Amino acid sequence: MIYKKDANFPYPLLTNTSTSYESSNFILDVNLHENSYNYRFEISYEIDSQFVNKLIENEQAQLVLVIQSKDNKFFYIKPEDKYIEIQKSRISISNRTTIQLHLQSKAEINFKDNDDLSYFYSQFKEDIVVLRNSILGFSNVVIFEGSSTKPLELFEKKVNPDIKSDIKIELGSETIIIHYKNEQLQFNDSPMSNTLNNPYIYMGLQKALYRFIVNNSDDGEQVDLEQIDAPTDNLDLKFYNLMKKKMINELSIDNIDEVIYSISDKILEKYAGAVRGLSLNGN
Amino acid sequence: MEIKLLKKGYKNNEQFYKDFLEDQVKNKEEYFSDEVAFIDVTPDFPIYIAQGSESTKSELFHQAFDAISDSYLHTNRDIHFDELFWHSLLAVYKRDYLLEQYPQINDGLNHFNNIVLKDFNWENYIYKCVLGAQYINDAISDVSERKRYYSLIIDNLDVFNYIIKYEIFRNDKFLINILDIIDELKLSKVLKSKITGRDDLGKDERVGRRVIFEFNKSYPIIMSPMLEKDDLKELFLQYLVYYYQDTKQLQLIE
Repeated sequence: MIYKKDANFPYPLLTNTSTSYESSNFILDVNLHENSYNYRFEISYEIDSQFVNKLIENEQAQLVLVIQSKDNKFFYIKPEDKYIEIQKSRISISNRTTIQLHLQSKAEINFKDNDDLSYFYSQFKEDIVVLRNSILGFSNVVIFEGSSTKPLELFEKKVNPDIKSDIKIELGSETIIIHYKNEQLQFNDSPMSNTLNNPYIYMGLQKALYRFIVNNSDDGEQVDLEQIDAPTDNLDLKFYNLMKKKMINELSIDNIDEVIYSISDKILEKYAGAVRGLSLNGN
Repeated sequence: MEIKLLKKGYKNNEQFYKDFLEDQVKNKEEYFSDEVAFIDVTPDFPIYIAQGSESTKSELFHQAFDAISDSYLHTNRDIHFDELFWHSLLAVYKRDYLLEQYPQINDGLNHFNNIVLKDFNWENYIYKCVLGAQYINDAISDVSERKRYYSLIIDNLDVFNYIIKYEIFRNDKFLINILDIIDELKLSKVLKSKITGRDDLGKDERVGRRVIFEFNKSYPIIMSPMLEKDDLKELFLQYLVYYYQDTKQLQLIE
């Protein structure tokens, strides 16, 4: 499993965000190449702690590369390993692939000689003993997004005379699709046609965010965006990124309207302006 | 051969179901995108193994594992691990076979959804067999040994389901280690048994599921998917006694 946030551990862990080490760097870089049969993941990593590097050298600790796409693959990595190859019959990168380097203890490890720990531990580090097969640190996560074909578009509009209502809002795999029974409903004949469609956009956002809550919360009520992992569903992921960018920390049934206000650009205000403009023109 | 891929919108679609029954899907361009998948051969195999006696089901699973190993596993994962490929293959190219094998498809859209257009996840029989066949094939080269492992999966389907349900355990080495432990200690029956006297747990709790759940809970402090079998075995027994206290049976194990 891939760690994207800081979990609490009962002993000091080497990660890029940990404060347990004086200089906490565990940086992984991955380049992806392919030929007809294989994907090749070229890896390079950097660990700042001498203590940890020594553990790896002495084989008291083992680097494990975790590649997660539709399942998990683990590779034991030696310092001299520059890449690993996986057949295309065993991995697909058309969906999101996440990669992380873990460090696993191969023996019981005493931290008394660990001079890289932060000052906080200086008094009692000789009491820290980590059991065999435990995690000692993990790197940043490298993500390949796969071929998400519409990275930015949130909406698609379609005319579909077969639908059983005037408007149908469908949550597609990557976009919100608004089906109109006929073209008139799109106000194509009006110069303000885009803005006049804003209520449907609003409805689409509402529907998608409701589903976001259902998909990503335990209770179906609220989602703490700081706590959850990036969603795997492509549409949810777009909203996740958008909300993070807009510094929204929480999404709940109660604040959906405020969230829409924050992530959209005043869509109802513009709509009201367009309608008022049309009515003033006697149109 | 070339498999024409369906376009989004075929799911939960009454008209699509009707056209399937009337053998019209392949004639209607509107159901297809421009994309195709290429695969050499696509032999029939059981895709739905929910009914029948244990021995019948076992036979069907073996057929599925064999067909997938022989004809599908070598294709790119973009094909054989892709829902759209399977739904397209089944609904467009396997209609006659499916109606003959699973006549209940005629009885309604829900049967069609549940057998032909089932979501491609751990509950889908093709998914189960693809992952099972892949993990066993990649780790075991001897043909009769492979069959023995397929039988172990089939005999311990409940635990297998729980392993492939949790993303962190969806891994060849972990599966094989667990199957080995179950086999060596003859734990199959114990793991299938219901947990008694634990009202704090759900109604239909099985020992095996809870043991896998304990591995899930202790991760990552204990990096179980990467453990060697003997280390894993120790933990397995430790978690087992949380839910199974028939000491006579356990003494046999130790």
